[in-house]
Amino acid sequence: MDRRSFLEIMIATGLLGAGLPGCSSSQPLRMGLHPWIGYESLYLAEEFGWLPQRVRLLHGASATDSLQGLADGQLDAAALTLDEMLRARNGGLPLVAALIMDVSAGADVLMVHPAISRLPELAGKRIAVEPSALGELMLQRALERAGLAASDIQRVDLPVNRHLEAWQQGAIDASVCYEPVASLLAAAGGERLFDSRQLPDTIFDVLAVNAERGANRSQDVTELILAHFRGLDHLVRNPHDALYRVASRQQVSVAVVRRSLAGIMLPDLAANHRYLAGDSRIERAASQMIGLASDSDTSDAKVGEFYSARWLPRRLP
Amino acid sequence: MTPRTARFRCLALALLFGLLATEALAAQALNLGIFAYRPTQVLESRFQPLADYLGAQLGVEVRLHILTQEQMNEALARNQLDLFFTNPSHFLMIRSERSLGGAIATLIRRGPTANTSSLGGVILVRGGDSRYDSLSDLRNATIAVPGPYFLGGFQTQLFEFREIGIDLQRTARLRVLGSHDRVVRAVLEGDVNAGFVRTGIIEQLVEEGRLQRDDVRVLHPQELGEFPFVVSTRLYPEWPFVALPHVDQKLVRRLASSLFALAEDHPAARAGDIAGFAPPADYQSVELLARSLRVPPYDRVPAVTWLDVLQQYRYWIFAVVLLISLLALTAIWLWRQRKRLVREQRRLSAMVETWPEPMLIIRRGLFVEANSAALQLLGYHRRESLAVQGLAGVSPPFQPDGEPSLEKSRALLQAVMDQGVQACEWRCLRNDASELYVDLTLARIGQHDDGEPAILCALHDITRRKRAEAQQRLAASVFSHAREGIFITDVEGRVIDINDAYQVITGYNRNQSIGSLVELPDEGVSVLMYARTHGRWVGEFRSRRQDGEAYIKALTITAVRDDRQRLTHFVGIFSDITRLREQENRLTRMAHYDALTGLPNRVLLADRMQQAMAQARRQGYRLAVAYIDLDKFKPVNDAFGHEAGDELLVTLAGRMRTALREQDTVARLGGDEFVALLVDIPDRALGETLLQRLLTVIGEPVWVAGHSVQVSASIGVALYPGRQELDGDQLLREADQAMYHAKQLGRNRYWITASDQGGDAWSP
Repeated sequence: MDRRSFLEIMIATGLLGAGLPGCSSSQPLRMGLHPWIGYESLYLAEEFGWLPQRVRLLHGASATDSLQGLADGQLDAAALTLDEMLRARNGGLPLVAALIMDVSAGADVLMVHPAISRLPELAGKRIAVEPSALGELMLQRALERAGLAASDIQRVDLPVNRHLEAWQQGAIDASVCYEPVASLLAAAGGERLFDSRQLPDTIFDVLAVNAERGANRSQDVTELILAHFRGLDHLVRNPHDALYRVASRQQVSVAVVRRSLAGIMLPDLAANHRYLAGDSRIERAASQMIGLASDSDTSDAKVGEFYSARWLPRRLP
Repeated sequence: MTPRTARFRCLALALLFGLLATEALAAQALNLGIFAYRPTQVLESRFQPLADYLGAQLGVEVRLHILTQEQMNEALARNQLDLFFTNPSHFLMIRSERSLGGAIATLIRRGPTANTSSLGGVILVRGGDSRYDSLSDLRNATIAVPGPYFLGGFQTQLFEFREIGIDLQRTARLRVLGSHDRVVRAVLEGDVNAGFVRTGIIEQLVEEGRLQRDDVRVLHPQELGEFPFVVSTRLYPEWPFVALPHVDQKLVRRLASSLFALAEDHPAARAGDIAGFAPPADYQSVELLARSLRVPPYDRVPAVTWLDVLQQYRYWIFAVVLLISLLALTAIWLWRQRKRLVREQRRLSAMVETWPEPMLIIRRGLFVEANSAALQLLGYHRRESLAVQGLAGVSPPFQPDGEPSLEKSRALLQAVMDQGVQACEWRCLRNDASELYVDLTLARIGQHDDGEPAILCALHDITRRKRAEAQQRLAASVFSHAREGIFITDVEGRVIDINDAYQVITGYNRNQSIGSLVELPDEGVSVLMYARTHGRWVGEFRSRRQDGEAYIKALTITAVRDDRQRLTHFVGIFSDITRLREQENRLTRMAHYDALTGLPNRVLLADRMQQAMAQARRQGYRLAVAYIDLDKFKPVNDAFGHEAGDELLVTLAGRMRTALREQDTVARLGGDEFVALLVDIPDRALGETLLQRLLTVIGEPVWVAGHSVQVSASIGVALYPGRQELDGDQLLREADQAMYHAKQLGRNRYWITASDQGGDAWSP
């Protein structure tokens, strides 16, 4: 019996449910994090020791790790895209967006072979797409723009971290991806044909908090958010230092980091208050995600209270 | 800095400024000041090509001046520089002093692997020195630094230490050496434990062959991938290139474009070890650093304005202000309460003080306050002397009911505490020991939770009433217990009240008496009239009891009037004086009559004689005094005893009495001697008849003690008026002598006074 099925049995028998709340507050708040330019604020905060004592960052390779951690109870929070979070919610996890970490403004890209110079030329081409709502969204919008139907192209479902490999093997003609893969593909000769700049206020990266765990850990969540803003401040105010650090961690050049940063918007605290206090943009984005999701289990999802400003600090120190 | 080097520096400065001044006058020459962060000759060789390049691009001469920070400040103060190029910290200093704008470009430094426009700090120790491994090992070390206004050579390192909680400026010995080269040398020579230099210095020194890389070890190295230099701190923007405001703007634009156009492989760039210039960086991070380190220009704590404090601590301030306000409000409220309390207390005191009735306040059994009336009533002059007293202290040892004052007062005060208001009569003792009766009213004042309970004690002087009551009681007692009958009537004489003696004397009970007219002599009305007019009527009269027995009543009636002198009542006091009268009569009789025979005695005889003599003189008739002495009475007495003698005397006395007329008097003088006073005798015949009748009745036999006894009498007679004027005694003596004369003549006869024998003695 592996740990996950053991936990499921425990939950089913109600033992864990009875035992967890009691001990939860004595443990640190565990947050899953994976490399993404929008999450660099927290990496910087960790590097400079700005994280609160009672918060642990658990580094994963991709969002999948974070989702897995949330599902089996190893994590109390994670940095996820909005669509990932919504899907997990529909899977039964009581996740709530506590913070908008970044909004994609060009960081999500359709990279194409240099031979393809216009969107309509995508017809009949092999396009690698990550099986996620975000990938679906990007692809659908690109096809709309191209005037093509989904059946007009050859869709290749592939996790984004394998796109470069597939590209180099000539297995695909185009890739729906994001930084830093996009820059890597560009370095491999790919060209940007379409990106999230054409989808403003659609692709959000959020701090998803397990509402049940976060309910009695409000202070920790808020302090985590404060650490994010401190790291963000360093990133924005002192790029002379921060870019080197980000580049060093992501193992890319400073120039790539600079370009990646250009592809996202990093909302400050005030903007976050606007988003999470009932801004229609995030609701609209969520409904688009749900409408596009190919999975049957997300199509009937209710938007509900999937975001909350209750953990946001009122002001920065 | 020793005095000698200081003097040398001053001289050098003076020479330099002299030079600059002449050069500034030269047309179109631009003076570029570069901070001498390394030895002057090194920098001159590096930057002269840049100055030449710029001069060529701009078409004006650009003169290079390698200046220390002080020199540069001085030159700027004299406005002798047009352009300057220095580290960001120094730039901030200058900017804050001169209110410069931003930089026009930021240096891109050439690195061995890549170029960068970031700089940081390096922390060096000697290569072989293994004592220091982490930053905290340097806490108390001696550290060489180039100078306080070096960013990469001082401030960046300081900040890293500060981040781990070490204030190096306090804990470590910092040795300021002026340039990076000297710092490295000091570290190598072991003069210091560690040294701070900016990034790139080590690489340059190695390149220049002045240093072996292994000679030094870098502490706290940062893994910054692409960054071309070894670094111990976080990074900040590289040096700014600054044009002063007075430089022509067109020239500045051309200067900027020349700087940006400087290619990486241009000889000027190569010489200067630079890779070109980038658009001006945001130096805010350096500002924040300086601020957090409190180094110039932020070495002074910014004057914290009230607004800042308000902003930062608004909740605390709000809470504190709220608390203080609440406190103040409470204090004011308390103060006002207290004031009101004091005012009320004062008012109460004033009220108590001015209240005409005596009032006292008792606390813990003692008088704590007393008003003037109370002091006056109790006869105290000073409040203080009253204050040590309790209620028992101003009372006699016992109350009228016989209870001890102390116990009774305690019980009373307890009753006030337990049951509230108490009222009773109380006997007090004044200060002068006189007694005083008061109506005492005691009431608790204040609530139960007021702490020390107080009792208000009000006194009302009832001494007069008490005395009146006592008098009334006395009067009532007199009324009911007097032996004299007392009655009270209304103005018309109708009885309202009677006492017991009344009933005893008159025999009439209350029901019979009350409402009836009082019994009065004669016309009752006149008696009452008299009493009304004269205030009193006194008299005696005969009355009858209910059972018909007669008695003599002595009555005094007094008119009673009210305050306005209106008659309201009559009060009558009477007694039964019947026996008194009898006694009186008996005594009178004893004084004037002979006890044996009941005949008038000598006293009454004298009295009657006087009256008769006066009448005889007035009316001109004649009276005779006949002195009668029984003959041979003694033998009878001897033979039959005194009782028989007495019986004889009584019988003869009765006979003599009946033998004479009504107006005549027979008196016994004692023994067997009698005197007959015969009045109004117009002639001899009547006189002699009466005398003869006396002799006859006396001479008749008398039955005494079972024997018939016969005696005779000798009678001497004196007439009045006679020839001489005689008084009663003389007249009686003449009659006595005449009696002896008759005795001598042979008894049983009468003899009229010799002087009267001849003539008509009987005629007046």
